[in-house]
Amino acid sequence: MSRNLYLLSILYFLTHFAANAQAKHTLNGYIRDKANGEALIGATIFIRELKTGTVTNVYGFYSITVPAGTYSLEFSYLGYTTVNQVVDLTGSIRLDIELSPSAQELQEVVVTDEAEERKAINKEMSTNKLDIGTIKKIPAFLGEVDVIKSLQMLPGVSTVGEGASGFNVRGGSVGQNLVLLDEAPVYNASHLLGFFSVFNPDAVKDVKLYKGAIPPRYGGRISSILDVRMKEGNSKKWEVSGGVGTIFSRVAVEGPLIKDKASFIIAARRSYIDVLARPFVKALQNGAGLNFYDLTVKSNYNISQRDHVYLSGFFGRDNFLFDRDQGFSWGNATGTLRWNHIFNKRLFANFTGVYSNYDYHLKFGKNTSDQFSWNSSISNYIFKPELTYFIDSKNELSFGAEAIYYTFVPANAVSVSNGESRDISLDKKYNFESALYAGNSQRIGKVLTLDYGLRFSNFNYFGPGSSYSYNDTIPGIRKSVSGEKSYTKGESIATYHNWEPRASFKVQVTPNSSIKGSYNRMAQYLHLISNTTASNPLDVWTPSTNNIRPEIGNQFTLGYFRSLGKETEYEVSIEGYYRRTQNQIDYVDGADLLLNKYLEGDLLSGMGRAYGVELYAQKKTGRLNGWVSYTLGHTELKVNGINRNNWYSTRYDQRHNLKVAAFYDINKRWSASANFIFVSGTPTTFPTSRYVVQGILIPYNANESRNNVRLPSYNRLDLSMRLEGKRVKRGKERKNHDYWVFSVYNVYARKNPFSVYFAQSTTRTPAGQPIPSQASQLSIIGSLVPAISYNFKF
Amino acid sequence: MKRKYVELLFFFAILFSGCDTVIHPTLQPADPVYVVDAFISDKPETQVIRLMLSQPYLEAQLPPGVSGATVSVSDNEGNTFSFAENANEAGVYSWVQSGSGFGKVGNVYTLSVNVNGESFIAQSKMGRVPKVDSITFQHTDRNDGNPDFYRGQFWATDPKGPGDTYWIKTYKNGILLNKPSEINLAYDAAFSKGSNFDGYTFIQPIRNGINPDDTDANNQPLSAYSPGDSVYVEIHALTEATFDYLAQVAIQTNRPGGFSELFARPLANVPTNVFNQNAKGAKVQGFFNVGSVSGLGKKFKI
Repeated sequence: MSRNLYLLSILYFLTHFAANAQAKHTLNGYIRDKANGEALIGATIFIRELKTGTVTNVYGFYSITVPAGTYSLEFSYLGYTTVNQVVDLTGSIRLDIELSPSAQELQEVVVTDEAEERKAINKEMSTNKLDIGTIKKIPAFLGEVDVIKSLQMLPGVSTVGEGASGFNVRGGSVGQNLVLLDEAPVYNASHLLGFFSVFNPDAVKDVKLYKGAIPPRYGGRISSILDVRMKEGNSKKWEVSGGVGTIFSRVAVEGPLIKDKASFIIAARRSYIDVLARPFVKALQNGAGLNFYDLTVKSNYNISQRDHVYLSGFFGRDNFLFDRDQGFSWGNATGTLRWNHIFNKRLFANFTGVYSNYDYHLKFGKNTSDQFSWNSSISNYIFKPELTYFIDSKNELSFGAEAIYYTFVPANAVSVSNGESRDISLDKKYNFESALYAGNSQRIGKVLTLDYGLRFSNFNYFGPGSSYSYNDTIPGIRKSVSGEKSYTKGESIATYHNWEPRASFKVQVTPNSSIKGSYNRMAQYLHLISNTTASNPLDVWTPSTNNIRPEIGNQFTLGYFRSLGKETEYEVSIEGYYRRTQNQIDYVDGADLLLNKYLEGDLLSGMGRAYGVELYAQKKTGRLNGWVSYTLGHTELKVNGINRNNWYSTRYDQRHNLKVAAFYDINKRWSASANFIFVSGTPTTFPTSRYVVQGILIPYNANESRNNVRLPSYNRLDLSMRLEGKRVKRGKERKNHDYWVFSVYNVYARKNPFSVYFAQSTTRTPAGQPIPSQASQLSIIGSLVPAISYNFKF
Repeated sequence: MKRKYVELLFFFAILFSGCDTVIHPTLQPADPVYVVDAFISDKPETQVIRLMLSQPYLEAQLPPGVSGATVSVSDNEGNTFSFAENANEAGVYSWVQSGSGFGKVGNVYTLSVNVNGESFIAQSKMGRVPKVDSITFQHTDRNDGNPDFYRGQFWATDPKGPGDTYWIKTYKNGILLNKPSEINLAYDAAFSKGSNFDGYTFIQPIRNGINPDDTDANNQPLSAYSPGDSVYVEIHALTEATFDYLAQVAIQTNRPGGFSELFARPLANVPTNVFNQNAKGAKVQGFFNVGSVSGLGKKFKI
């Protein structure tokens, strides 16, 4: 009932505004970077006389409809020189604007009496945007600039430890984040376990993390959306950039194909430790390998004033080979084709087609009579049309659809023993996920902004395939199979649908302060099956089935945001969140997750709750800038069969999470960066007792508890210095722009705990002797790690 | 396969040096629980059942035996086998074989332990085993070119019919390889039920699972066997429940540390098939398994 009301109200707004939109004219166009032609995402258009404005969308497009008149317009973007232009609006105007990067960064002139309206234009909350410039300044592990590691400096974002892949947002698991690279989902965003992420910083334009207030255009994961947008390539001139680091060498080439019309970028990275080590390590000469690489390409063509197409792709791979015949590899491949079309001055459309694939291969056995080979993959095709209707200066309506066709290959495996071979593959799974959504962004008066929308998602798991039913048992123990039913091609095995309302508000209390709140409900139909401390490349994604229900997340947020200082160079905020989740997956003890036809019998389902407060203070400009972020959080699960059916803290539950990032410009050539992290100890399970069966020492927790103890806290300081190359050589300005980065990770060489584990001693205990037992603490990085990299651009 | 995976993780150590430090944490106190260690076989020797108490985890003492229990095993044919406590070993109860070995394949056995007013029971079906056909030794190329590096392999074929589960125990020069990393289990001819590998020769990693996991002072693997060493390989039949139990024991006890910790599973109690008939009575852990055994020995000569 309330849902119908909701839809009705959207309809009402639609018709209402359409009727009122007469005798008005529309300003629209793209805002781009003058230096390289890149579209600017989130640039502001402000109309002084009306004290109103709008921001560009992810393609750099804006449209605003206002009454006829003469207006002074202001086009601005942080780090760029503001452009002022007076227009006489007697008819609709297409106005494409190019902004120049400001030499003296961030000297934004703020007219105080207009600050209120300017700020009101940007109302997103619970999102964090990191521009690539900032990411490149953060001291990085082994000097390798990393998008995902940088995100971990933001409030509400955490990780289970060094080397662990992925990230946790507001108490969500790694598999509950949707990671998009140019709208293509990336199923494993890590190289070398989790030490590096797959995003090449030379090819990334914009990184946005939605932690809450997730717009209806996004769905499919319940924790967060990480939206990474690639650069389009310089449409003005040729440019080559790159770097030589400790781990990777990188190179990127970009340039115009047709000046101001079409451009491209190709960026590649490869690790080369194996190349360097080959003369010294015999195994490497015998075909063993340890390398990872990625290739990012993008091209775009501005066909006409109304049409713009983009084609982008990513291909990345990690290879670990013991010798020529044995080892494993994994990687993602994505391709995105987008077409922006301006139907008319107020109706902007984008059509996206995506292909994305993640797969891994394993092969063991040197000779053909004893071998094991296995590959697994998840691949999908996505089609996503979206229309944005810029109704007037106060309303922006977006609506669209999403259709995803998935093929899961859990295991294509062949085992050969003593010359006899057997195919032990598991059935493929086919799914179709679809969604329809609509959302409006509306400003009411000078103070209130509302964003509201609804997403209806649908999931169909269909044949050919088999469904299994399982006997009920004591929770926590493997369920036995009670029946099997096979389905023909296209026949539905299980279907689910969910209504996902999304809403947020912003109240501009004073020109410099606002209160924002949001609610969103998300449904997740794919599940990352992983019961290890850190997720690993062999973890399988599995769809919802008749036994695995979709995960549902509900989140409320409320925050207070304030700008301080003469030039509002300080921004402080406090934001609280409360999140409840259903159908979270956990595992029976001893669960067999790989190559298991009856995997569902090993899964448990429970609920989760997470709540916390995030404090954030940022100084945006000046020689010294940076931020302090602090999160007080708690995240728990309750699963029948674990921890005596009581709530328990998750492995990534961190009570206190403090991060400081500071950047200081020493002089024209030297700049310094530092970051400091303090995280309270994560939970782990300690045994209470031991006993011996068949000569093996077994740990035992008499209270049957999970995560009953906390590890010691984690803290770390990283420093880096950047030296700009000389800009002038022999009186001439150098065409070449280069810089060195010297960094030290873990400056005071703290042995931060990753885990504590209990085991009997590794020496063989003679019969009749007591077996020694011990507790060990593991530090992944036990020392300071220095690194140098050289970066260039010409 | 999983072992290979762990090996691979050590490969990462070339790049990064993880660091393990022994610590001495204070553990939560807990009351001791009863522990039953009852693995019975048809091996022609005295069969032993141990009744013990659990200890604090970091207490490196021999487990305290529990005396004065009545221990017996009965089968579905109405036979009862009494296990008598050894005079000089508290908590050790034995059945001395007379004539043929214990039990018959296919029979169901019930263990009953009565102690201090508590009554524990457990059940197990006696499983079959294939014979060990042969044992071979291979010279192995090691990357550092050590010329005297040998590994052994046993050969046996899982009988047709899915669901046979085994524990392959190895004695090198008469000493049982009893490290957690040396637990060698098979479900049919492979690692797990899901592998669906029934009726084949045991897969290579299982055949190779008879090699001791020993390293030198520099943590480099030692040659598994040298000329003159003897090896004895036994295949013990398990029930599926015992297989699951030991698989979990291996997960919980084989913690080599280092990078493998990234992919460690949470510490959890392994299951038990021994129950107190009074659900509110004293807690009990441990396992009861009856299985047949086959074995073969060989001396390594070049």
